[in-house]
Amino acid sequence: MKVLVAVKRVIDYNIKVRVKSDQSGVDLTNVKMAMNPFCEIAVEEAVRLKEKGVADEVIVVSIGPKVAQEQIRTAMALGADRGILVETDEPLESLAIAKLLAKVVEVEQPDLVILGKQSIDADNNQTGQMLGTLAGMSQGTFASEINVGENCVEVTREIDGGLQTLSLNLPAIITTDLRLNEPRYASLPNIMKAKRKPLDVKTPADFGVNVISGLKTLLVESPQERSAGVLVGSVGELVEKLKNEAKVI
Amino acid sequence: MNVDFTNEELAFREEVREFFKHKFPAAVKDKQEKGIYLTKNDHIVWQKALYDQGWAGINWPVEHGGTGWSATQKYIFATEAAEAKSPRIIPFGLAMVAPVIYTYGSEEQKARFLPDILATNVWWCQGYSEPNAGSDLASVKTKAVRDGDSYIVSGTKTWTTLGQHADWIFCLVRTDDSGRKQQGISFLLIDMKTPGVSVTPIITIDGTHEVNEVHFDDVRVPANNLIGEEGKGWTYAKVLLTHERTGIARVAESKARLNSIKKMIDEAAARGEDLNSNAVFMARLLEIEVELKALEYTELRVLSSVSTGKAPGPESSILKIKGSEMIQMLDELVLEIAGIYALPFVPEQYTEGFDGESIGPLFAAKAAPTYYNDRKVSIYGGTNEIQKNIIAKQVLGL
Amino acid sequence: MDFSLNDIQQMMQDSAAKFIQNDYDFETRRGLSNSPAGYSEDNWKLFAELGWLALPIKEPYGGLDGDLVDTMVLQQEFGKGLLVEPYYATVLLGANLIQKQANDAQKLELLEQVVAGELKLALAHSEAQAAFDVSQTKTRAEKQGDQYVLNGHKAVVLGAESADYLLVPARTSGAVGDAEGITLFLIDPKSAGVQLRGYATNDGLRAADVGLTEVTVPASSILGQADSAAPAIELVLNEAIVALGAEAVGIMEKLLAATSEYIKTRQQFDQPISRFQVLQHRLADMFMETEQAKSMVYFAAMEVAKGGPEASRVASMLKVKIGSAGRLVGQQAVQLHGGMGITDELDVGHFFKRLTCINNQLGSRDYHLQSLINKAAAG
Repeated sequence: MKVLVAVKRVIDYNIKVRVKSDQSGVDLTNVKMAMNPFCEIAVEEAVRLKEKGVADEVIVVSIGPKVAQEQIRTAMALGADRGILVETDEPLESLAIAKLLAKVVEVEQPDLVILGKQSIDADNNQTGQMLGTLAGMSQGTFASEINVGENCVEVTREIDGGLQTLSLNLPAIITTDLRLNEPRYASLPNIMKAKRKPLDVKTPADFGVNVISGLKTLLVESPQERSAGVLVGSVGELVEKLKNEAKVI
Repeated sequence: MNVDFTNEELAFREEVREFFKHKFPAAVKDKQEKGIYLTKNDHIVWQKALYDQGWAGINWPVEHGGTGWSATQKYIFATEAAEAKSPRIIPFGLAMVAPVIYTYGSEEQKARFLPDILATNVWWCQGYSEPNAGSDLASVKTKAVRDGDSYIVSGTKTWTTLGQHADWIFCLVRTDDSGRKQQGISFLLIDMKTPGVSVTPIITIDGTHEVNEVHFDDVRVPANNLIGEEGKGWTYAKVLLTHERTGIARVAESKARLNSIKKMIDEAAARGEDLNSNAVFMARLLEIEVELKALEYTELRVLSSVSTGKAPGPESSILKIKGSEMIQMLDELVLEIAGIYALPFVPEQYTEGFDGESIGPLFAAKAAPTYYNDRKVSIYGGTNEIQKNIIAKQVLGL
Repeated sequence: MDFSLNDIQQMMQDSAAKFIQNDYDFETRRGLSNSPAGYSEDNWKLFAELGWLALPIKEPYGGLDGDLVDTMVLQQEFGKGLLVEPYYATVLLGANLIQKQANDAQKLELLEQVVAGELKLALAHSEAQAAFDVSQTKTRAEKQGDQYVLNGHKAVVLGAESADYLLVPARTSGAVGDAEGITLFLIDPKSAGVQLRGYATNDGLRAADVGLTEVTVPASSILGQADSAAPAIELVLNEAIVALGAEAVGIMEKLLAATSEYIKTRQQFDQPISRFQVLQHRLADMFMETEQAKSMVYFAAMEVAKGGPEASRVASMLKVKIGSAGRLVGQQAVQLHGGMGITDELDVGHFFKRLTCINNQLGSRDYHLQSLINKAAAG
């Protein structure tokens, strides 16, 4: 079985995001970038399927600038077998990404595509669903558990107030939720091996996809500054403050 | 200009030396020499020895049982006490609350509190700082609401040194929050055994329990425990702060410490660790010695102006800053001499009852904990940053 | 000229940073430090899996052939977590010294076990008068037939209690101060005459004083050649200074971030105290010292690896910078946190304590400045 995992390069989740002074977007100069955490969970799940003998090959794909190779290498250090970068410096909206991924799916013919449910930079939560439509595959979103059977995959989804378990015919698309697994740390030997794994670079033109966006970002604003907090010395004091100052209990 | 002692002063020095030779409680002396932490009882025994000698109220007026010593006598006493490695006098009762009581308290309050303070029958602690009122002390929020003959007190005080031993606490409390924040603060004495008072320990990075949080949960305090007038507490506390600068630099203690550091260096040399040939270390040591001499004379100048009847001015802030820096620099020297033996953390070695062989030289056992703990001296009693503001504003008029 | 990390180093840094972030928060670390062993065996196994134990070891012995820059990257992240596992003792001192001093058979036997996480080591080099300079070693080993008999006392041996073997330098010939005549012995701490007195250190690690009384070992326990161990030990300790420097930089970065965050939220006089210029300048000083220290670590990581007489001069320069920068950043982090800074509860004080102990390890700032003076005087 072949598993395709899509990963996205985003600002490291530990970095405090700063908006550019002209409010045209987020300042990315000298900011540490990393793999989107939900994508990391997707990679981990695919690698686990391979370790269980369910998957034979894990292919990781990313769409973005040349430096997104770093995230592909990281995915390969975590255990993916080979990588594909669709290189473009254009800002992409979800639909363009889904179209490109659909082309990759067409070429690679995976049995299972795993994506993060959303990326922490744009928070769109769209790509997986759009890809499902474009590729004509059934989808299980917000997965917290995956069990692959004969020609089908059981997906437990986290939905409001409970869980739902679906069975999807393969090939299928799964988007991962936070509790699906806890990603491993890349080991040094695997990091070194990742250097030698194949990484194909393509462009949107190779797939005949037009990525020019019809969207324009008008304004990005920081959340309102949180007013200064106070350090309380004890539980007693906290209770006292919640009671008398915040008046919430 | 003359700093030589008169014959009377020399005679006084002999008297003090005699006292430390014969009346300094032996068990306490032994612990001090070994660097063993003192218990509550050790402090009481030592302070009672002073009381029996009539020397407990060093700064007190004679009418309340004070010594009536001149500035020079106080200086002599401090020097001899440090050389004899006597413990510090716990300041909260004798040096902090007592002057407020004998200056602003009623006759009834003087009679009720002062004798027990002088004799160290009662252990006092200080309730000034709060979690959100540190450098900005005037923003105290602990509330005292009048209810008939009582105040109902609620709030939290923090960094209360040795509050775990205390029988009484003197507090700055807010009795009015309508005006400027310096107004509406009152000076209130509270019995720690009153229902609703609780103490939680704060452990510091040297692993000791010295400071505490004190919580007041609707504590009913008799109104006659209020000192002076309601709303004047800030003034009383400030007067106290500027009047109690003598000794804040702890010069005598630092001088004694420098002497013992020189002994440590000699002992280290005997073990084959030759610090004398480390020019970097020696340069640091000698620079500190110069600085300490300057500090000693600055303190003497302040003392001398007090003895001629002038109140010490804000320039006494120099003493707090330079004195605390001196303590911390001396700690760094000891840490340096301890070398690799500064690393072991074995508190048993300086706890009562230890009679084993020390790991490395004994002084080294406490080198790092002391260095860590003494980071507080540039923080408490108004941080050194605040002290520099005082110098800039009040001395230099900037 | 290029100061950027290569992608392997970058990924290693990422996984180390993630490990510290996810699995090594301050309360976890406190728990490990207070546990009987003083660290986590599970973490040790994980380090083996992740290849961290293999990093500085050469490939023929199962290692990954990493250089000092690689070690620097890892140590900097470890500093941010105040790591208590005996990585420094086992890998950076013990294994590194075996690699530089032992013969091939010994290396094969010992290093593969280290890499697998099955063997822990401690280097018992320091004595009260010789925290750094191994030629000052007073511990002696007398040859008696096929055996050697060791007598002496080793001070503050990090990781000694958890070590399967101690690496013990002892004088087999010459006088105290001679460069020649130091022999390195591999000693089972359970051997007769070895007495360990274990304790916690001020920075939450474990160490022991090691007494050696008529400890009798076969000549086969000599690592490499007799009388020849001093240069290898010196080189390993110089490299260890780079590792400590990198750790210190990680700590300083952490303190800088914590302090800057704190003064932005701490309100006094009806405003965040970060508005006071004197505190802004203090933070700026802390920042500059941290960056200067980092520059020195980069410099030293590249230069010390080249070895030779210049290596010890560079290591001394680094230790001087780390000593003064660490003191400033540590003290000011505490000062700006006010009373909170000296509470056991907050992590800031613990980072400060570790920085303090780093200065007292492998020779202090004063010691190394003096040694630079001596070298300058000697021309």
